[in-house]
Amino acid sequence: MMLEGNRLSIAFGGVRAVTDVTLRVERGELVGLIGPNGAGKTTLLRLLTGVLVPDAGSVAFEARDVTRTSIHRRAQMGFVLTHQIVRPFRDMSLLENVMVAAAANLTRRPWRALVAVEAQPARARARSLLERLGIADAADKPAHSVPLGYLKRMQVARALALGPRLLLLDEPLAGLNYSEATRLADLIVELNAGGITIVLVEHNLSEVTRIARRLVVLHNGAVLAEGAPREVMTRKDVRDAYLGNEPAVGAAHA
Amino acid sequence: MDYYLSVATFGALNVILALGLNLISGFCGQVSLGHAAFYGLGAYAAALCSVAGLPFPVAVVAGMLVAGIFGIVVGIAALRVREDFLAIVTMGVGFLFLGVVRKQQWLGAEMGIAKIPSPLDKWGYALLAIGAAVALVLLSLHVRRSWMGRAFGAVAQDEDAARSIGIDVAGYKIAAFFIGTAAAGLAGGIYAHMTQIIVPDAFNFIQSITILAMVVIGGIGSTLGVVAGAVLLTLMPEMFRFINDYKLLVYGTLLLAVMRFSPEGVAGLVRRLARTAQARGGRRPA
Amino acid sequence: MFYVELLLVGLVWGCTYAMMALGLTLVYGLLRILHVAQATVFTLGAYVGLLVANHTGSLALAFVAAALAAGALGPLIYRLIYQPILDKPPFVALVASIGVLIAMEDGFRLMFGPSGLSFADNTWFTTTYSLAGMVLNLVQVWIVAAAVLLLSAFAVFAARTRAGVAWRATVSDPQMAESFGVGVIGVRYLNFLIASLLAGVAGVLVGLLNNLVEPGMGGVISYKGLAIIVLGGLGNVPGTLVASLLLGVVESYGSVFLDRVMDRDAIAFLFLIIVLMVRPQGLLGKAH
Repeated sequence: MMLEGNRLSIAFGGVRAVTDVTLRVERGELVGLIGPNGAGKTTLLRLLTGVLVPDAGSVAFEARDVTRTSIHRRAQMGFVLTHQIVRPFRDMSLLENVMVAAAANLTRRPWRALVAVEAQPARARARSLLERLGIADAADKPAHSVPLGYLKRMQVARALALGPRLLLLDEPLAGLNYSEATRLADLIVELNAGGITIVLVEHNLSEVTRIARRLVVLHNGAVLAEGAPREVMTRKDVRDAYLGNEPAVGAAHA
Repeated sequence: MDYYLSVATFGALNVILALGLNLISGFCGQVSLGHAAFYGLGAYAAALCSVAGLPFPVAVVAGMLVAGIFGIVVGIAALRVREDFLAIVTMGVGFLFLGVVRKQQWLGAEMGIAKIPSPLDKWGYALLAIGAAVALVLLSLHVRRSWMGRAFGAVAQDEDAARSIGIDVAGYKIAAFFIGTAAAGLAGGIYAHMTQIIVPDAFNFIQSITILAMVVIGGIGSTLGVVAGAVLLTLMPEMFRFINDYKLLVYGTLLLAVMRFSPEGVAGLVRRLARTAQARGGRRPA
Repeated sequence: MFYVELLLVGLVWGCTYAMMALGLTLVYGLLRILHVAQATVFTLGAYVGLLVANHTGSLALAFVAAALAAGALGPLIYRLIYQPILDKPPFVALVASIGVLIAMEDGFRLMFGPSGLSFADNTWFTTTYSLAGMVLNLVQVWIVAAAVLLLSAFAVFAARTRAGVAWRATVSDPQMAESFGVGVIGVRYLNFLIASLLAGVAGVLVGLLNNLVEPGMGGVISYKGLAIIVLGGLGNVPGTLVASLLLGVVESYGSVFLDRVMDRDAIAFLFLIIVLMVRPQGLLGKAH
């Protein structure tokens, strides 16, 4: 088991955002997490990644309990996330952005980082990742000056630089044009085939149903359906949830 | 000669203070309005050691460590407040230091500590201070090149993103506070022995702002810019005697003018001029 | 009785803090600027009030003149200094603001001398009332009255008038308000105007209370004002008022019982630091 979110619940000021959600991801899977706006996807992701601490339930990464492990510790363990809203280091170039992540073994402890100066290996690795993401042409441009599509892919490169075993991607395709999105989706499949377990939160349903091998549908803070993409997307309750029709009483339990 | 030596010593102490603050605020992005408190902590701790009969090097190192340890405490406290508020909390630390020292009889209260033994002559202090300043310049330049400097940059620019790539944000902030405040403590130890008398008011809010002024006028984040800022603000009142009467008016106006017209300070201005000159030079042959 | 007297003195100070801090909260809430230079507005109000009072003998005129001068200076600081640097990182405006404060403090010293000026005829200061063994002067009574009156007027303005509703909408969501046609720029000036009027009046009152107007009188009160807005929790108006009164009272008791350990300013900031360690979001602020 790569990732296990066990009976997670959280409420904000009495409003239940996520209720009793259990999510299991096996090693090597590519899981798509979808659901209409306000379904609780982002909240669930924040619970899984440690931005939020659940009111109840637990999170385990490779069978180790990480419910209260800090985000940076999880990243060091190989449990890496990308942000939905791009978070570049604005004054660094794209290359430097990825370099800092590529040198994670050097920056792990401040005092160790003070005596580490060698940058060549990190630079080389960062450059090859930028090439892989198809954004090497902007490697030396400061992050605040490049378009969103570049930053989105830089974030994926930055996450990959950490050598993750589990990657949580929060809407990586949003903001990309059609061909960029297709290319990045193909790359995600390729990374998955290369051994990285991936959980993908995505609004781009056509891409996510194309590449994910399993879908989990969230609705009103609970799991509404899960299974193979084709079957899930043909279910009536899933369609109703997306179209905004509340299922008839009892239907959700059917 | 004595006069020039003492100006040089104060200039070097200001360089140490300003580079220490630059490490915290410029490199790691943690605004501090209470840096003079650590200068004072170092001065008082070193003075107490010397008065108690400990050797000079021990006293100076003790001053550094006391300031650095309090710096760690403030760094830990800083982790709990949002960034805008850190300025207020550090300002508060300054007032707290001053308000406590003023009331302690064993620290001489308002009168401070006098008759601190002085083991060196004017040349000795000047060389010591300049040596320490040079060491700190080298340290700053090294930090900037090292992975610590890059991680500081990540923390300064986006804490959440830094966390998500495995950077221990808290650890780096505390490290920045430790190095920066220990430097201030070192300056304090030298200052106390050189002047042989220290009073609380030498470490007040205005002193904190003066150090901040050196950093931002020179160019926050730029080691050489900050050195220039510290030297400039030390020499200005000495070269233009009349400025001494209007010192705060001049400092305040400079702070305001730099923030309003060139927030990257003298260093930013120089960079911009160099770029335009380059652009012009590049255009001419074409 | 001694304890009650300390409480009263603390509340009086709390009222002056409230008049300072409300403005600081408004400015912070809308623009995320720590407006330290509010101290300059406060001190200008005090000097103008004193000069007018000493020349005309009328305190009423003195307050009007102080409010006018302060009300002009605050928005001017916004227009000339803050507005051009709003897109810069927050410390830029803060440092600029500190620059204004210390330059103007020196300016006041050069213009009016370092030792400060007193009111020629401060009848409010000399008129005292004794109440169950406690002595209060008229300035203290007026400070409480002014705080209650002005802050109530502000509350009515915010809740009942068209401009007030527009103002509240802008503070809570500038973009939304703009799309409904509320002028964001106008609201910013309004914030600085309200903040400055309150500061100017508070300046005259504190000048009367100490019977002294001096160049540095605004500094510490404005630093404490910033501490209060942090205590109150991020642009939270009720929180700011509670924190103001509480800080006044804590200082009042503290300066008696902790006098051997630390001074008044240290007590205020120690209180701030302790509260923030326990509740980083402030007294009435919401977590996250």
